[in-house]
Amino acid sequence: MNVKYINPFITATINTFKGFLGADLKTGKPSLFNSTDSDVKYDISGIIGLAGEVRGAVVISFPKLVALKIVSNFLKEEIKIFGDDVIDTIGELVNIIAGNAKKDLEEYRIVISLPSVVKGPNHQINWMQGVPVIMIPFSSTYGPVYLFVSLKDII
Amino acid sequence: MKILVVDDSRIMRNVLKNILKEKEIDEDAILEASDGVEALKLLKSNKVDLVLLDWNMPKLNGIELVKIVRAEEELKEIPIIMVTSEAARYNVMEAIKAGVTDYIIKPIRGEIVHKKLEELLK
Repeated sequence: MNVKYINPFITATINTFKGFLGADLKTGKPSLFNSTDSDVKYDISGIIGLAGEVRGAVVISFPKLVALKIVSNFLKEEIKIFGDDVIDTIGELVNIIAGNAKKDLEEYRIVISLPSVVKGPNHQINWMQGVPVIMIPFSSTYGPVYLFVSLKDII
Repeated sequence: MKILVVDDSRIMRNVLKNILKEKEIDEDAILEASDGVEALKLLKSNKVDLVLLDWNMPKLNGIELVKIVRAEEELKEIPIIMVTSEAARYNVMEAIKAGVTDYIIKPIRGEIVHKKLEELLK
């Protein structure tokens, strides 16, 4: 998995949090992720699909409380219900991350899908079999945010 | 004056409406649509002075709407600002080719929207 495809998503995530929420993200140490033996907890994810010279997905996941804090801050009102407003806002946030990452991936033949949002306690992501998943943790004033990347080089 | 805000995200429509209200634009002067089809109906039934338009929307996306508007005699002069997360250069070029008047990349900053409004509504 070439970092040239991963770094634009890290940069876009950091920049989007700054621009969208005025929040600074601190990047943690990347590690191989295995959903069966990980204690990482998340309740909502934005999934960005990639096709072309690499294939796979980039996923940005948030624990419920973090997502509620982000949406409350963004809407400037306390949001307690983990419902449509949260899906809408997280969807928009991930959409912006995808759009900004695209800018830095212009030189490669990659098609980036419109993100979709899934919700539920530790929901399953259908990663491509045999392709490692790298987790990049971020810390913020809202709490932890996770970026997962699983990409297979095609060429 | 009427401004049409088109975005499939209710949250983003509210963000844009709040930015417009900061410029003392009355709530009654702001129309909303959640996709291109709804936007086109509003454009045909109201005298709209400016459109703030998202790109990725169901039914009819922003670029398709721009092409339709620019081909309609009655609507073709309406200024359209694309407000989108599509930040790649080829996206900006595609939008300009389709006929957008200006382009704002999300995340939206109020002062940028205000500046564009001032320029267009002079």
